[in-house]
Amino acid sequence: MSEPDSSAKVVITTCPHDCGGRCVLKAHVKDGVIQRIETDDGEEPQLRACVRGRAYRQRVYSPERLKYPMKRTGKRGEGSFERISWDEALETVAHHLTRTIENYGNDAILYIGYSGNTGTFLHNQLAVFRLLTMLGGFTATWGSASFWGSLFSSETTYGSLTAGHSRDDFLNSRLIIMWGWNPAEAVQITNTSWYLARAREKGIKIVAVDPRFTDSAAAFAHQWIPIRPATDTAMLVAMAYVMITEGLHDQEFLDTYTNGFEKFRDYVLGTSDSLPKTPAWAESITGVSAATITTLAREYATLKPAKLLTLGAPGRTAFGEQFHRAAATLAAMSGNIGIYGGEPAGFGLCSVGLQPIAGTGLIARKMPGNLPEGARQRPSVHITKLWDLIIKGTAGGYPADIKMVYITNGNPVNQFMNTNKAVRALSSVESIIVHEQFITPTARFADILLPVNTQFERNDIIRPWQAGPYVIYMNKAIDCLHESKSDLDICTALAEKLGISGYNDLSEDAWLRDFWDAAKDMTYTKPLPDYDAFKAKGVHKIKQAKPAIAFTEQIQSHGRKPFPTPSGKIEIYSQTLEEKNDTNLPPIPTYIEPWEGPRDALTARYPLQLITTHCKRRIHSNMYNVGWLSELEPHVLWINTIDAHKRNIEQGDMIRVFNDRGAITITAKVTERIMPGVVSIDQGAWYSPDQNGVDRGGCVNVLLKDEHSPAGAFCSNSCLVEIEKLKSSTA
Amino acid sequence: MVQFGFYFDQSRCTGCYACSIACKDWHDIQDNRVQWRSVITHERGRYPEVYLSYVSLSCNHCKQPACAAACPASAIMKREQDGIMHVDQEQCLGSQSCSLFCKEACPYDIPQFAQDENAKMQMCTLCTERLAKQKNPVCVDACPMRALDFGLLEELQEKYGQIKEVEGFRYSAETQPSIIFKPRYK
Repeated sequence: MSEPDSSAKVVITTCPHDCGGRCVLKAHVKDGVIQRIETDDGEEPQLRACVRGRAYRQRVYSPERLKYPMKRTGKRGEGSFERISWDEALETVAHHLTRTIENYGNDAILYIGYSGNTGTFLHNQLAVFRLLTMLGGFTATWGSASFWGSLFSSETTYGSLTAGHSRDDFLNSRLIIMWGWNPAEAVQITNTSWYLARAREKGIKIVAVDPRFTDSAAAFAHQWIPIRPATDTAMLVAMAYVMITEGLHDQEFLDTYTNGFEKFRDYVLGTSDSLPKTPAWAESITGVSAATITTLAREYATLKPAKLLTLGAPGRTAFGEQFHRAAATLAAMSGNIGIYGGEPAGFGLCSVGLQPIAGTGLIARKMPGNLPEGARQRPSVHITKLWDLIIKGTAGGYPADIKMVYITNGNPVNQFMNTNKAVRALSSVESIIVHEQFITPTARFADILLPVNTQFERNDIIRPWQAGPYVIYMNKAIDCLHESKSDLDICTALAEKLGISGYNDLSEDAWLRDFWDAAKDMTYTKPLPDYDAFKAKGVHKIKQAKPAIAFTEQIQSHGRKPFPTPSGKIEIYSQTLEEKNDTNLPPIPTYIEPWEGPRDALTARYPLQLITTHCKRRIHSNMYNVGWLSELEPHVLWINTIDAHKRNIEQGDMIRVFNDRGAITITAKVTERIMPGVVSIDQGAWYSPDQNGVDRGGCVNVLLKDEHSPAGAFCSNSCLVEIEKLKSSTA
Repeated sequence: MVQFGFYFDQSRCTGCYACSIACKDWHDIQDNRVQWRSVITHERGRYPEVYLSYVSLSCNHCKQPACAAACPASAIMKREQDGIMHVDQEQCLGSQSCSLFCKEACPYDIPQFAQDENAKMQMCTLCTERLAKQKNPVCVDACPMRALDFGLLEELQEKYGQIKEVEGFRYSAETQPSIIFKPRYK
């Protein structure tokens, strides 16, 4: 083992992945090689990295890194490739693009750029977005696998996505409810868990509502309330029933700041549909006892200020937006909006740090040449429907017939629903181009596979999900490994081949200076250090005298300053939704029986509810192939002892998990930490089918239904399955 | 005698493994099975009354190290000046030439052997090279929950108290591990 070398240069950067956190990584670089990685040991609050960041060196120097441009030699999906030159690769990609546009038009190109790099200012999916836009357009995607229910609810209810409080505000609460939320593994903003631990130490009551007894529930919560997946809205509505019937709601707050509470009240009390949404009603749906629901409702209404934290999983269900709408309504009923220690239960952006900057960036920046505005209008298809789009095209009611698929910054075969359908779809198109760092399950389908560098091999600027309270300059630590390039450099070379002038008229440094200059005029962040000082320092922490909280102006003006909604109020009732006249997207928060939920008739064949969770060893499918991390814990399915015994399944058995969409094999973890009737698998394990099409990799998307909620949520927690023990001979 | 030791706050630990992997990165331990610092999971109870805790554990630099006493080659030593355990890689007989007495003697299964041929024993060095630069061991500075601390055992006891056991860790009166705890909430 080498001794630490004091002559090594220390370079500050961070991860660009989709966990919401941005932590300090200090790379020790000697002779152009990263020797080790440290984290923040500077001023508090330190931004200490999680295990994934600490293991990053094995990812950068992995022997599995994609080293050269490759072309496919075997069948799509098989993973057989041969090395080609950059020139041949770019010529081929340019040829496919030109031919597709000539023969079928721009809409025949589907671009899937996702969150492999996210929050970065420069190096992300926008490089290809800009190229294809300048080429005349393409079929784009919309939606998110993460948060669309929350986004829709926050826009509808508050008219704003800046509806979160910074994490230091945890310490101002009297009650924190972590609803379907496991930041100890999912991270969800650097230091979230640290603030939760300190809240607990301060004596603040913490409750976890979750089908699993998670690491977060174990470490922070006084109480664990197990709940059947996809039924959370019913429990929230019953909590509203308790608050209303016991007179615990804040009528003055509702009168001053909200719109249409009485319509919600009528629904809750059953005045409008003769069905009072009592705790007993909710008990039969959720599996949570009426007494528990009643107690939590009383606590939430009276222990003020209180936080109802509703970040993701329950919204990733069949009618997930209703969960977020109901949670925001409860926050209003308890008057927990616009006050320290409260929380609007809205989308989590914070009024601190760098907000998205208008007028800059690869897209917004003026596109040179004579590109008409109309060329930027693209058809757009939801990410859960891409495979269906490819298979059915315009004949199936979609806006385009796809002939070419271009994929960067993502692993959609693995991470979007219905993997077997993805395989069928991608086998049918004329060409597939993928930019990647590794031969992922998606990359195996590429005709041309282009190697991309990692963040250690380029400069960038990045912010955390909440937008602050800090910004990190991602300093380049080493030169590009092998023949890898950034997406931007790849597209710059492609633009040249395609004869597009002015695609990239700036150096990396000039782009970043351009962003930073624009950022200086931002509302929340003044004063920012100058660019060179920021780059040298690496991390700029914004000093906050107090936590950042949402909607203070509206609340402090006693309603004179309107919320940015059509009514100027918090819209418990939405006229906009009323006008949609869609029973699946009602104007007030409503519990709607979910497909593939606990009461679906399909439970006769597939009796177990599968939830797809985030784990500590990966960020979605990133870092799956890092040895240090995969050794930490095996990839398993959690099943309660009762369900396991019914199926003769013992700890560590290999099992088959299946439904009509496919089958996977995985190891069973028989545990008391999950609710009976529910099983869970961490999403992100790499799809690895055998010759019969059974996935031996344990990829959850083989099982998930490719459907989104009415508002566009990714329903990755609405899935029914059955499980059987595998005979060892077939395992 | 001067004795360095660890403090571990089990109430804060979420079992995230940052300590364990930071250690492997700093000391460049590429062998996936070798862990100078590991995280031990402890689950008990019946649904829904369940309990989960973690212990992050490295060599405890015991006052009476059983590993040193058991080593037939006298390859394991306790440093006079600070009580830090040290393994002489030259002296160690290696995994194939020895019956791994150290591993058997240690009540905490700390001694580690890589999968290489006749691998020599390795374990936590307390990052002596970092201590020389007035830095904490890398695990302590890694913990996102600030659940680990390091220092003179006497000073740690003064600061954090005398708790010697938590769920998942039993105090060995024989070896006298240099670690104190704050337990998980009941």
